[in-house]
Amino acid sequence: MISVSNVSFSYDDGTPALEGVSLDVPKGEFLCIVGHNGSGKSTLAKMLNGLLLPSSGTVTVAGMDTADNEHILDIRRLVGMVFQNPDNQIVTTVVREDVAFGPENLGVPTEEMAVRVDEAIKAVGMESYAESAPHMLSGGQKQRIAIAGMLAMDPEVLVLDEATAMLDPMGRRDILRIVRELHEKKGITVIMITQYMEEAVGADRVIVMNGGHIVMEGTPAEVFRMGDELRAIRLDVPAAVEMRELLLKEGVADCGDAMTLEELSESLCRSLLKN
Amino acid sequence: MFKDITLGQYFPTDSFAHRLDPRTKLLILIMYIAAVFLVKELWVFAVLIAFMFFMTAMSNVPVSYVMRSLKPLRILLPIMFLLNLFMISTGDVLVSWKFIKITTGGLKQAVFIVLRLFALVCGASLLTLTTTPISLTEGLEKILSPLKVIKFPAHELAMMMTIALRFIPTLMEEAEKIMKAQLARGADLESGNLVKRAKAMLPILIPLFVNSFRRAEELALAMESRCYHGGEGRTRLRVLRFGWRDLIAVLVFASLIVLVILLQKYLPLDDKLFALISGAKA
Amino acid sequence: MPIVIEKLTYKYQSGSVNEFTALKDIDLTIQDGEFLGVIGHTGSGKSTLIQQLNGLMQPTSGKVTVDGFDMNDKKQRMKGRALVGMVFQYPDHQLFDETVYKDISFGPRNMKLPEDEIDRRVREAMRLVGLDEDEFAEKSPFELSGGEKRRTALAGIIAMYPKYLVLDEPMAGLDPAGRRAVSDMINGFRKKLGCSVVMVSHSMDDIARCADKVIVLRGGEIFKYGAPSEVFCHAEELNEMGLEPPFAARLAAELRKKGFALPQSIYTNEALAEALKPYGKGWRNV
Repeated sequence: MISVSNVSFSYDDGTPALEGVSLDVPKGEFLCIVGHNGSGKSTLAKMLNGLLLPSSGTVTVAGMDTADNEHILDIRRLVGMVFQNPDNQIVTTVVREDVAFGPENLGVPTEEMAVRVDEAIKAVGMESYAESAPHMLSGGQKQRIAIAGMLAMDPEVLVLDEATAMLDPMGRRDILRIVRELHEKKGITVIMITQYMEEAVGADRVIVMNGGHIVMEGTPAEVFRMGDELRAIRLDVPAAVEMRELLLKEGVADCGDAMTLEELSESLCRSLLKN
Repeated sequence: MFKDITLGQYFPTDSFAHRLDPRTKLLILIMYIAAVFLVKELWVFAVLIAFMFFMTAMSNVPVSYVMRSLKPLRILLPIMFLLNLFMISTGDVLVSWKFIKITTGGLKQAVFIVLRLFALVCGASLLTLTTTPISLTEGLEKILSPLKVIKFPAHELAMMMTIALRFIPTLMEEAEKIMKAQLARGADLESGNLVKRAKAMLPILIPLFVNSFRRAEELALAMESRCYHGGEGRTRLRVLRFGWRDLIAVLVFASLIVLVILLQKYLPLDDKLFALISGAKA
Repeated sequence: MPIVIEKLTYKYQSGSVNEFTALKDIDLTIQDGEFLGVIGHTGSGKSTLIQQLNGLMQPTSGKVTVDGFDMNDKKQRMKGRALVGMVFQYPDHQLFDETVYKDISFGPRNMKLPEDEIDRRVREAMRLVGLDEDEFAEKSPFELSGGEKRRTALAGIIAMYPKYLVLDEPMAGLDPAGRRAVSDMINGFRKKLGCSVVMVSHSMDDIARCADKVIVLRGGEIFKYGAPSEVFCHAEELNEMGLEPPFAARLAAELRKKGFALPQSIYTNEALAEALKPYGKGWRNV
């Protein structure tokens, strides 16, 4: 679906943000990209729909090169992008009209647009706020509207560029749940960029970035086995993994690859409560 | 809490007036203004004011809300009244005391000015009370769009207004937070002379501006991501359509203009009225 | 002398149709040197509460006194406010000056301290938050990274030598290493300056790490108040409210359900590991 090959990028002042990054995202994958602030992960995200163009290398979406100006609208329609700050991506003063902003730009006929917009609002569970003013919503609700705005464009890929970073735990939980649902039910390819390791646990694949490079890649289980390496590059492991490491170190129990509270408690029951 | 501020003064309800197309409302406002300026006979204002009550009734907005919009005029109106009353000395003299002289011409002019302003402000606020700023923007965009031929940026202008409307509450809230953050650092915003106070505002204005620029940048990225590429080939979720209401409204306002003209031509009651006043004095 | 809050009620737009009670009958004392963690949802009243502590908002009814200064009184409020340093969530809301050094000196300068004292404090504050003087003093605060901005904002308050340090979500938006650094820093100046700390956070794990007392607000009222172990033992209740109790407390609750006999007071990983040790050594639960 998306193919990033040997991409480098430097900012205007010459500081390199990405160096020789290659990455393939197949259709239907749930990919998580983690890295500390300044690791290049957000730069990579902005490459995926042509907001930034590589200094060298290519990015293609469904076979279309992002550097090819002719296809840029098609690419942006296919790759929906949700940003970090909920306030700065809502354009108009009524929720329903904001969700329609993308389809309006694409020239979708009015009747079809109304259907799409209402479906998108329903998909994120914001029906009762359709006529509200965005500034009266909570951060989590605003991000749901931002997602709905993407869904209304009928994308195949959803990129969340630290979309949960400014939310409270409840908002974060909601967004995560909605994104998982979209992935499972609609088969949308998800690329989630985050610094919260908990959010990476359910992914199909995790990519760890540092200093503009991909430094680790694998299933969540594989990646979170390398706790010390992650901490060395200013990252962390999910709370369950931290606990499991401690239990192993203290010689209490070996909980294998448990990454969530449920897995950990089940594993502990199996190993410690068994007669 | 600036959060609850509603922009303009839209009164959310449902009514005949609320359902009118914003373009129609702009048009009938112009017709109404024309009618107000056509009035040359004082007593015709009574007709106009009666008509205004009728409009208010059709808009489902409480009269008190309409009156509230006159508040900013509460200083201007009396001054205008008094100025006209004392400065104009045409017609018969009604009161004469030392250097003060009130004449029928002055009185008439003073009442005239006040009533005209009153009628204009009430009419305009009825428009903003029954129309959301956003649909007003939409209406303006549509009305101005023929001017695109001469490169008038109607779409861009409307987009800018939309974004401004969207972000004003957000920026107000942010200004409040910044002010608190600086107050907590002991900023003194109240004492000192004008220059000193203006300087004291810098710690608030600078973060506000810097953040606004960052917001603008991020918003531009978000808009691009949502395939924004100017007004070309854009469709709209809400299509403005003229309906039977709009036709009725325009007809009613047209009749108002005709009525004003006819009444003034065939029923010049003012002279009789003033004759009565001067007669009573004599 | 402590901060004493008595029967504090705060209503937004009091008396209007939109009246909204943000805080209701709050009684709370913040002792000298104490570390109080404040937890609650967006809208639970926690932001309103901390803004009462330095008089940015005043009670609709009730009383807040800071070291005896009545915050309802305009004159005393200024004296009280001088004791309470407040760091808001977004450093972008307070950084404004040309250089980091000048920005940090804004607070001390407003306190009308002598120039050499200001200089001394700014340097010390920079050291305490880990901003290297040679590298950062002359830099523009707008060129800094998120973590560095946060440090600068903190230093701007630290330099005022507050007796009470109030922090609103100081870790929000930082990467894991940044969160750890800020947490260590706060503990650092607490020891150095001996100040009380009031910290609002969504992350109970962050609060569990350093708080002496925890207050949980719900709908403008105190839902729970006490030592961390007393509050976090209600892991399930807190979880249902949508607040995330410390991981260890949640896991312990889950394990208790499954038949482990674990003390109620567990809320740190270390304590939980310790409590599980007997099981690891072949103990059997009956």
